[in-house]
Amino acid sequence: MDLNDLSSDTTSLSWNSRSSLSTRQSHPVQTNVKTGEKLRPNLFVANPQIRKLSKEMAIPSSSAYLFLLSFFTLSLFLAISTAESESELELVADLRALQSESKSGVIHLDDRTIAKFLTSPKTPRPYSILIFFDATQLHDKTELHLRELRQEFTLVASSFITNHNNSNTKLFFADIEFRESQSSFHLFGVNSLPHIRLVGPTAKSLKDESEQMDQGDFSRLAESMAEFVESRTKLTVGPIHRPPILSKTQMGLIVALLLISSPFIAKKIFAGETLLHEPKIWLCGAVFIYFFSVSGAMHNIIRKMPMFLVDRNDPNKLIFFYQGSGMQLGAEGFAVGFLYTIVGLLLAFVTHLLVYVKNAKAKRVAMVFAICVSFWAVQKVIFLDNWKTGYGIHGFWPSSWN
Amino acid sequence: NSSTSDPLKPFKLKTKQQELLIRVSILCLVYILAFITRLFSVLRYESMIHEFDPYFNYRTTLYLTQHGFYDFWNWFDYESWYPLGRIVGGTLYPGLMVTAALIYRLLHFLRFAVHIREVCVLTAPFFASNTTLVAYFFGKEIWDSGAGLVAAILIAVCPGYISRSVAGSYDNEGVAIFALLFTFYLFVKAVNKGSLAWGLASAFGYFYMVSAWGGYVFIINLIPLYVLVLLITGRYSMRLYVAYNCMYILGMLLAMQIRFVGFQHVQSGEHMAAMGVFFLMQVFYFLDWVKHMLSDTKLFQEFLRITVTCAVAAGGIALGVGMASGYISPWTGRFYSLLDPTYAKDHIPIIASVSEHQPTAWSSFMFDFHILLFLFPAGLYFCFKRLSDATIFIVMYGLTSMYFAGVMVRLILVATPAVCLISAIAVSATVKNLTVLLRSKNKVAQIGSTKGTSSAKASSKASLDQSQPFQKNGAMALLFGAFYLLSRYATHCTWVTSEAYSSPSIVLAARGAHGNRVIFDDYREAYFWLRQNTPPDAKVMSWWDYGYQITAMGNRTVIVDNNTWNNTHIATVGRAMSSYEDEAYEIIRSLDVDYVLVVFGGVTGYSSDDINK
Repeated sequence: MDLNDLSSDTTSLSWNSRSSLSTRQSHPVQTNVKTGEKLRPNLFVANPQIRKLSKEMAIPSSSAYLFLLSFFTLSLFLAISTAESESELELVADLRALQSESKSGVIHLDDRTIAKFLTSPKTPRPYSILIFFDATQLHDKTELHLRELRQEFTLVASSFITNHNNSNTKLFFADIEFRESQSSFHLFGVNSLPHIRLVGPTAKSLKDESEQMDQGDFSRLAESMAEFVESRTKLTVGPIHRPPILSKTQMGLIVALLLISSPFIAKKIFAGETLLHEPKIWLCGAVFIYFFSVSGAMHNIIRKMPMFLVDRNDPNKLIFFYQGSGMQLGAEGFAVGFLYTIVGLLLAFVTHLLVYVKNAKAKRVAMVFAICVSFWAVQKVIFLDNWKTGYGIHGFWPSSWN
Repeated sequence: NSSTSDPLKPFKLKTKQQELLIRVSILCLVYILAFITRLFSVLRYESMIHEFDPYFNYRTTLYLTQHGFYDFWNWFDYESWYPLGRIVGGTLYPGLMVTAALIYRLLHFLRFAVHIREVCVLTAPFFASNTTLVAYFFGKEIWDSGAGLVAAILIAVCPGYISRSVAGSYDNEGVAIFALLFTFYLFVKAVNKGSLAWGLASAFGYFYMVSAWGGYVFIINLIPLYVLVLLITGRYSMRLYVAYNCMYILGMLLAMQIRFVGFQHVQSGEHMAAMGVFFLMQVFYFLDWVKHMLSDTKLFQEFLRITVTCAVAAGGIALGVGMASGYISPWTGRFYSLLDPTYAKDHIPIIASVSEHQPTAWSSFMFDFHILLFLFPAGLYFCFKRLSDATIFIVMYGLTSMYFAGVMVRLILVATPAVCLISAIAVSATVKNLTVLLRSKNKVAQIGSTKGTSSAKASSKASLDQSQPFQKNGAMALLFGAFYLLSRYATHCTWVTSEAYSSPSIVLAARGAHGNRVIFDDYREAYFWLRQNTPPDAKVMSWWDYGYQITAMGNRTVIVDNNTWNNTHIATVGRAMSSYEDEAYEIIRSLDVDYVLVVFGGVTGYSSDDINK
């Protein structure tokens, strides 16, 4: 074994052993291997007893030196090999410890731990790691759905762990953040998010030999992640346990409340005293439903559109109105719905309520105000509609008039 | 004033007759307008069937006229969905085909030798005109005849309705919207009058709706909901009892005659609301009778409480047992996605991928309704001011249909009659008030007379008149404003009809380099090539969009078509189309396919070809 090789191996080994073997002290290799080259001078200079011994034992000093060297290399070799197999188990134990420490079983890795668990150990490693690449600064971009995917990833991880009764050592779930560990991102060659990679036991080069999940598979969230895991690692994830919307106790409480209160409610309905009998409540409810539907709120809910977008060119400006038919932003929809409702209600107000006002001047002012506001609102909506869709609506005059 | 020596006296009409003449002439003009505004594509291109689905309807109508009703009812089609075939008689809604065939027979009886294709192309505009008449009567029922006239005009040109009833769009909705409005009108009339005859008529109207469109589920859920609201707000009456019972029982029995519907009225979860409300009505009737027999109110209250609790509990248990044992099937995916709109996106991609099922942005509402969106809240307010059984119904219809229109673009069609009716109420009431103001000067001199209802209002307005000299001018200005708005609405509707909704998707038009119009008839030429140059038993594989057109025009067997009833078969075809050639060849050979049809639009910039899909 060449000394250079030895030094390189042992430096990496010393790094490993320094982190995981904190309970071990005075490892015979440790102190000697800080700088491997110092082995020989130590022997010659700092151990006069050995020289004495060799002299007393009447062994020639060179052979003593050779004997000691071979002894040390042999012990080194043994130590390394046992340390290697030992440290594999230690790594797995470390991973399991990290997993149990973390919330819901997703281990948070950074540059250091990536090196410890992935780049340093020799292949074949006894485990594979499924890594979710994240970046907190991009959480606000809704088209990436990073928060949602992260939650789904957590669900897959926790389902996997519970389905294997906490005795799993083959597959670990981890995530890694961009700001903390930029070099790891570079190591993996990740430059777009969302990104999920599976690092198998035999993958040497993290960039080329780790398996990436397809972009198109993200749409089915946890189910597609589970399928990816199962197809590449031949380990079953099992059923995914999603938390129900209402827990059992909440549901039970609601049902009990309903049952208890139903006779009282029925009696009140027959007596005609409830809030439901007031027509004004129904009117407000009706106008609200109308406002909700017409402003395209269902579209926003289904497509999960944000209230406003940040202008790409100028980060300080906010875009409230989306140009282009068929899609809309949240605030835009509500603004337009509000304008519709205002005009309709003003018309009703003028026709019915204004008649009761006694003061003639006030009536006139109110009517003029209503007319102006309605006119402005209608014009605004028409202008917005033309700007958004780009249609130029015109009448059809006979061509001989042009 | 009538004078004795007026030569025109025999021709001078009384006011009532003048009014009748004006009304009838307006209705005739609206009828004609509704028909001709849908004829743009017939004038520009030719009289042909548009889109994809109407081709299947045309083919079945052709079969019906050639082979008679019983062969049509028992038809097994071996030319589509090879090798599975399709039981046509049991998987379609026959209303449209039977209607067109009847019109065809009638015209032939009168010795007009028209081709069935012409009848099919013009069925939808004809029924749109009939819808305007029904809208007039419905408006008259809810408010007054002025509102009815405005409703007829608004619905004649509303783009939301025109989009699915243009000449050439031979689809279920063209007939179904007429049936929907007709059923609703008959039911509201039955509730108002409480007569069994109108209830019977509404049951038959419901039967026609069930035979015409799958959207009848909307009726069978809206009407029970309406009855429930009436019961809760304390408007239970004998009229309601008679109307609902007659309509529900007879309508259910008649609906079971359609094989596609079958026993769903007693087995499917979507129809259980109607049954529940039916039993609740019996409970209410029983309670009413007991109240009538008992003279002790305290005892009656106790009895009331016990009965209601028992009834609700019994209903809940029955429903639970039915659903748990599987006898009552849960809501199907298509309708469940209306209640939980994110359901289709996550679980049923094929429903979420249909372009008609996308959620609606506000610009789509504006495109289809224009000025009516502003008038709708005003109309709501007016309805609430004059609450009656009929106005409650129209408010509920309007709100539920607007909510569903927000979920799916296609359902703007269902919301259109409600929006037109409610906006008509607003317009009619406003115009009426304004014109009363304008004409109040004439009534000042007659303030002493005992002329009917408007005298009190006229007197108060007259007294105000003296204090506000600008009131008449203000009213005049507002009236002009209202008419200007309505004229803008008409312009918008005509433009939208001409530019957006009159294109037959099977013939494409584009602007050439010099601005000249270039017409592509590639689809029909390709299908005709198939018809002429391939053996009669050849099987053609294509994406499911073109299935109906290939069978109708090319007359060849297809593997999958627009019915999309077998998702696995469609998935197989999709897999064949997107795999590498050697894998795809294996799949294609296993399906026994002879020809593959692919649509490519790259050179002309056609955006909905197979590559984009």
